Amino acid sequence: MQSGRGPIPTLTTLAMLLSVAAFALAEEKTEMLFHAGVGQRSSLMDIEKILAKRYPDLELNFSFKGSGYFIADIERSKEGDLYMPGEEFYLLQALERGYADPYDPVKDSPAYFMTVIITPKGNPAKITKIADFARPGVKVSLGNPQACAIGIWHEKTFKKAGIFEQVQKNQVHSAKCIAEVATAVQQKVADASIIWATTAVLYLKDIDIIPIEPQYRGFVSLPVATLTTSKHPEMARKIKEFILSSEAKEIFRSHAYVIDPGPLDKDSFCAGDGKATEEDCKWLVEAVKVARDDSIPVNVKTCGHLVGEVKRQRKTTRAGD
Amino acid sequence: MNEEVLSNKLSATERERIAHSSLRLWPVACVTAACAVLAGYLALVGSNAIYLGWSDALSFLPRTRLWVRFWLTVRTSALATCFSLLVGIPAGYALSRFRFPCRTLLATLIDLPVMVPAAAVGVFLFGVVKSFPVRQVTELLGVRFAHNANGIVLVQFAVTVAFCARLMKASFDAVNPRFEQVSRSLGASLPGTLLRVTFPLAKNGIVASAIVVWARAAAEWEGLMLFVGGTMAKTDVMPFSVYLDWNGGMMGWVVTFSLVCVALAVTSMAAARLIGGRSYVW
Repeated sequence: MQSGRGPIPTLTTLAMLLSVAAFALAEEKTEMLFHAGVGQRSSLMDIEKILAKRYPDLELNFSFKGSGYFIADIERSKEGDLYMPGEEFYLLQALERGYADPYDPVKDSPAYFMTVIITPKGNPAKITKIADFARPGVKVSLGNPQACAIGIWHEKTFKKAGIFEQVQKNQVHSAKCIAEVATAVQQKVADASIIWATTAVLYLKDIDIIPIEPQYRGFVSLPVATLTTSKHPEMARKIKEFILSSEAKEIFRSHAYVIDPGPLDKDSFCAGDGKATEEDCKWLVEAVKVARDDSIPVNVKTCGHLVGEVKRQRKTTRAGD
Repeated sequence: MNEEVLSNKLSATERERIAHSSLRLWPVACVTAACAVLAGYLALVGSNAIYLGWSDALSFLPRTRLWVRFWLTVRTSALATCFSLLVGIPAGYALSRFRFPCRTLLATLIDLPVMVPAAAVGVFLFGVVKSFPVRQVTELLGVRFAHNANGIVLVQFAVTVAFCARLMKASFDAVNPRFEQVSRSLGASLPGTLLRVTFPLAKNGIVASAIVVWARAAAEWEGLMLFVGGTMAKTDVMPFSVYLDWNGGMMGWVVTFSLVCVALAVTSMAAARLIGGRSYVW
């Protein structure tokens, strides 16, 4: 055997292994890529099931990440058909750099995030309103405004209530993402915090949900846009249309997003009496009770539009899917 | 109190007694420290297992959702290990046996990806796959990277290849070069010597190293987060599922996946130790 023949078998094996990998992903369907915030996963998975039935040739792949990672990904990979970050800020960045198709901030949003107060199970610090966060001795978890959108809302909300400095003194935990805030409260590291209702509803067995007074109740729209890098722009447009349809909006609602927040002020706080979201708040509180009490039947009468979430969490002691 | 003054006050026998007793203390201290580390690990795993509970474990463990991700992890990391071995074995052998210009520089460079954060490797991969000549070659072969299983293999390969070369170097270092010299002097070619002398002698080290490389590939996550992203049941290997499900509040799945990851790591390290036997990779 000559030493000069060495690279040939190596290259052949490499080519064979590469073809095996390529074969595994042979393209037969319309393959599309949807960049989406990790928080939207459960809603988008439900939507994917409907789309799979409607378009059997469609293979919709999701790239779920923290919202902060998207722009770099799209910029470097130049891949993707649709984009749904958890915050409009990231979509505006994509728009500015020419990666997103024109987007209408009002029409192109199927749902809104709504802020709620969360406390550990049993509400040990007896928190009932925003002012309670300033009470001495209350342990508060706050998000870092540089790292996550909920951190910005913590600052906005407590500044509006005029208690930001006192709340900062009560801060025991600084989080880089919303899941960290929720886990801090779930693990009783903190007595209270504010998170989106759609995140709070994931922890029905371990945290109490308290609706915020209408004047401090914040709303953030969940935007969706098609991308200029799309290889199937027509299909991308159809998917976007479906996401904005009333059928898809109901799916978002079943995961505790708000469809109609009512009138909002310039800072996106509730501008009215909060009637528009009263029902959403009521079912959140009810869902907590039903998820923990096996004697209460799970149906629309007991937990409204959150039936699916309650059923999922009642299946096991620790939440699965 | 000043130590010098103290030592002057002590007699020679007393000093000897103290030295002996401190000598006896060392093994005890070391064993205690090792036990403390072990107890810490057991407490971590045990507390999570208790948190999950028996009924939930029975509910989660048989589910397809877990096993789809388990086999995806096993498959991709096995493929990545094959690629790493293709590069790592010759590289490790060259570093162990040959003297060539800039050898130290190359040895240092090959170590770099072991120290560079996996996230940075993920970022660099974006640049590599989108530039000449990788882009042209992959297009010619019809292989796409980024948001698919190929992307996972590429990240795992990029993170483990240097590590693999390092372990292979250690495996070849354990083989006495005199056996090779004797084989060559008896007329065997270099490839013949490699196949009949070096590889059989280094076999245990190579197999054990391959298992460790596989375990490292199976644990990779940061690079995947940046380069691949999580597509349900397609690119969310187990460490990635831990992150995604943690964000989804699915603590049952988070703990289940974590425990399976730990079980995989422990099993592979135990296998590597048993097979590795007398090689001095560790």
